[in-house]
Amino acid sequence: MTSFFRGKVSFAFKLVVLLLIGSVLVTLTQSAFAQGEFLIAAFLAITVLLLAITYLTKVSIPLKFFLPGILLLVAFVLSPIIFTVTMSGYNYKTGNIISKDEAIEQIQNRGFESDADGTSFDIKIGRYQMGEAILVSDSINGAYFISTETNRVPLNPADLTINEFGVAESAPDFEALADDEFATADETYSGKRFKYQDEFFIALEGFEVGIVSRQVLAYDVDKDQFNNIVSGEVYVDNGRGNYAIADNPDLYLEPGWRAPVWFENYTKLFTEERLRGPLISVFTWTVIFASLSVITTFALGLLLALALNKPIRGRRVYRSILILPYAMPSIMSILIWGGMFNTEFGAINNLLGTDIAWFQSALFAKFAIILVNLWLGFPYFYLVSSGALQAIPSELLEAAAIDGANPRQIFRRITLPLLLQILSPLLIASFAFNFNNFNLIYLLTGGGPRAELDGELAGATDILISFTYKIAFGSSVQDLGLASAISLVIFLLIASISLYGLRKSKVLESFQ
Amino acid sequence: MTKKRLGVVGVIAAATMAFSALVVPSAYANNEIVVWADGDRGPNLVKVLAEKGDWVSGYKITVKSFSNFDALKEAFDKATDASGPDIVMGANDWVPTGAKSGKLAPVTLTAAQKARFTPGQLFDLTYKGKLYGVPVDVNNVAMIYNTDIVKTAPKTFAEMVAVYKANKTSKSLKAGLCVAGGGMSWGAHSIFSALGADAYQFNSRDQIVYGRSFNGTTFGKNVRTLLLDGGKKSNGFLPASDAGCKDNFIDGKVPYAIIGNWEWKDYVAKGFTMNLMPVPGVVANKPGKMFGSVSGALLTTFAAKHGVEAGAKSLLTNFFGSTDGQVRYQKIEGRPPAEKGAALDATVSAAQRGFGAAASLSSLPQIGAFLNNNAGGANYWDSAPAYWTAVLVDGKDPVTEGNKLAAIWRANTTAGKSDL
Repeated sequence: MTSFFRGKVSFAFKLVVLLLIGSVLVTLTQSAFAQGEFLIAAFLAITVLLLAITYLTKVSIPLKFFLPGILLLVAFVLSPIIFTVTMSGYNYKTGNIISKDEAIEQIQNRGFESDADGTSFDIKIGRYQMGEAILVSDSINGAYFISTETNRVPLNPADLTINEFGVAESAPDFEALADDEFATADETYSGKRFKYQDEFFIALEGFEVGIVSRQVLAYDVDKDQFNNIVSGEVYVDNGRGNYAIADNPDLYLEPGWRAPVWFENYTKLFTEERLRGPLISVFTWTVIFASLSVITTFALGLLLALALNKPIRGRRVYRSILILPYAMPSIMSILIWGGMFNTEFGAINNLLGTDIAWFQSALFAKFAIILVNLWLGFPYFYLVSSGALQAIPSELLEAAAIDGANPRQIFRRITLPLLLQILSPLLIASFAFNFNNFNLIYLLTGGGPRAELDGELAGATDILISFTYKIAFGSSVQDLGLASAISLVIFLLIASISLYGLRKSKVLESFQ
Repeated sequence: MTKKRLGVVGVIAAATMAFSALVVPSAYANNEIVVWADGDRGPNLVKVLAEKGDWVSGYKITVKSFSNFDALKEAFDKATDASGPDIVMGANDWVPTGAKSGKLAPVTLTAAQKARFTPGQLFDLTYKGKLYGVPVDVNNVAMIYNTDIVKTAPKTFAEMVAVYKANKTSKSLKAGLCVAGGGMSWGAHSIFSALGADAYQFNSRDQIVYGRSFNGTTFGKNVRTLLLDGGKKSNGFLPASDAGCKDNFIDGKVPYAIIGNWEWKDYVAKGFTMNLMPVPGVVANKPGKMFGSVSGALLTTFAAKHGVEAGAKSLLTNFFGSTDGQVRYQKIEGRPPAEKGAALDATVSAAQRGFGAAASLSSLPQIGAFLNNNAGGANYWDSAPAYWTAVLVDGKDPVTEGNKLAAIWRANTTAGKSDL
């Protein structure tokens, strides 16, 4: 075994593995670089370098074990947190997604208008006097001309080859591009504005048609503002990711860009009535839901563990059955439960002989959620409680019994306190998990019922994370900045509650 | 590090680079126009382009299909410069958000090209005065009735309710009218409208009226009279959900159903004739208005970044917006073509014409700026089904809820004005 790890075969194997991983990472680096994701490209490049140095040298033996974990932690935990924290300080929503440079470019591209008559011409694209040009056919007026970026050269129809539709096919000194040259010429010609008259120019709308337009919005680089050449309006950077008219901020240009607004997304949570009201009720329900979930799943899990801790007939079978809900994918379970709660054809109403609209009533919906979560969660606590029960020294229990304690006293005074000390971190982790149990809420009730007609933003069973999702993705306006701020608040809440819980349980001390 | 090790590292580095160069994903070739479409339209586009692919000389047209419309929308929302399409087959209500976010690019059609479409169709794909694509297919629903139960086309809503009540027990009917296509918001608008609740109001000159909504009390009273028993409990005529509607109608358990124009083949296959019509109103000859919208081929800003902007624009006009292109495409896709020449083509089926005719009788333009707006507390898509649930399931007062609905839609329309 030792020779395998140290011999030439192992070195060759290591080389092959490194080669494969390195190849994939370099591929991803190139791809990220090509997409303009320079930070990701840099991270991947550094990763390749670190992998090569760590595994092909003896710089640090411990690093050989830690490096994959560290890299994955940076990629999938730290980076999203940093990104979320950063974006929570930005006006980052539908309409303010791209960068400022891109926004300026797009406003310029859109800032034109066709002439009043909507004039358009058939065109041929090609070259004239070594430069890009178009051969324009004004077939209605029987006029023809060549247009370059700076000149417009009138042509005599007699000198042209004109097809049956009155469109000029060729002209002296004009070299039309062949069809197979279109693709390579696309980028060059698409951005060009060919001379027409006065401030009007001809822009390509495909390879066959030119539209007469003029630029209405002009960007002033020095003043960082857009000027409407026709109306005289001036659009200045409003500091929130849009160019807007200074004394009429509602009049702004689109698209905007993501711009820093610092703590505005956080203050919104407390100042905007639309958010503040639902946030309080959602937070309250989130705490109740997470607490009830932990209490009920732990209670049932422990009860079953205690019951099966004694040698009874068919114990293995019972244990296997109890683990089944845990072994089944939770998404499937939730969807099945969703069907069982259906008002018309659900098994639960059929069994009870009722016609309860489970997901239309806030109370029933909350009950259904707790019940389904109990089903999903109790096997976990059954497993860990079973393990923990084995860890409690039997001498303690025997001594208590000899001292005259009854089973209830033994459980209350010895078993439960010891169990709680062992399981406290898991209970806190379970609370944190349920605090963010998005799948259950989203798949079972969708956060509902919600009184849409009363203008309620949040549903009765929405927890903070599903409410955040609604804000971020639930409507046509996706407010990612605000959602990031709420996510951060959730993170701080869970971190505080977890820390408090751990300190209270004195578990940290016992681990030191 | 020894020289030998350094050499090995060098060899590995070189081999890694060489290997990765072989497998590096190719960026968009500059003669390739990439079109994104949903799982229905995409494969059909591929078939059409396989028949004839030279719509734009010198370009290869690649179609990428997504499993469904939602998946397509999600992918487009997340598309980047490198991965995004040059053209996307999207709904008209994608236009405002796509344009705001800088993902859609404007196109300018010539007068002749514009004349191929109705002003309403072009309006559907317009945002703040700029057009962002060409209309490809008409999206609408229409009501169909089962001639085994209903002998003649109904003239009023009450007539349908009477038919349902008369046959409810003898034919074991599960409902009178249900929504099989388009859901309880989009598909059900014609029911709202038939009972007096249009999503927004137009004046006699076809101009949008801001600050006014439907009369919630009148609408609520109509609901109470026609859909409730004893003024409170649902009479079973209209289910609050669209679940099972299609199957129930096909099984002969529902006499009237609202179906989508994308699914007529399923009904024809089961022997139904396409006796399509708008939902009759409270009074005769005042049918409910269905949403008549278009889906379009939308130009993206990625096309310019991929260096194929002119090619993509040519593809829009030469294929997607042309008579020939739409005839070929809709022959396979089976929706009513948007382009006028294609709509009149002899190859267009009776069902496609039927939907077009129903739409021409009574339709309402689908204006995303109003419908997607939630200034009133909820957008149209959430508030419409919520009304049916509140009244037909929860037993709430139809007039009170009707007035709430009217207030929401009025606020949304007023707030949406700036997005037009």
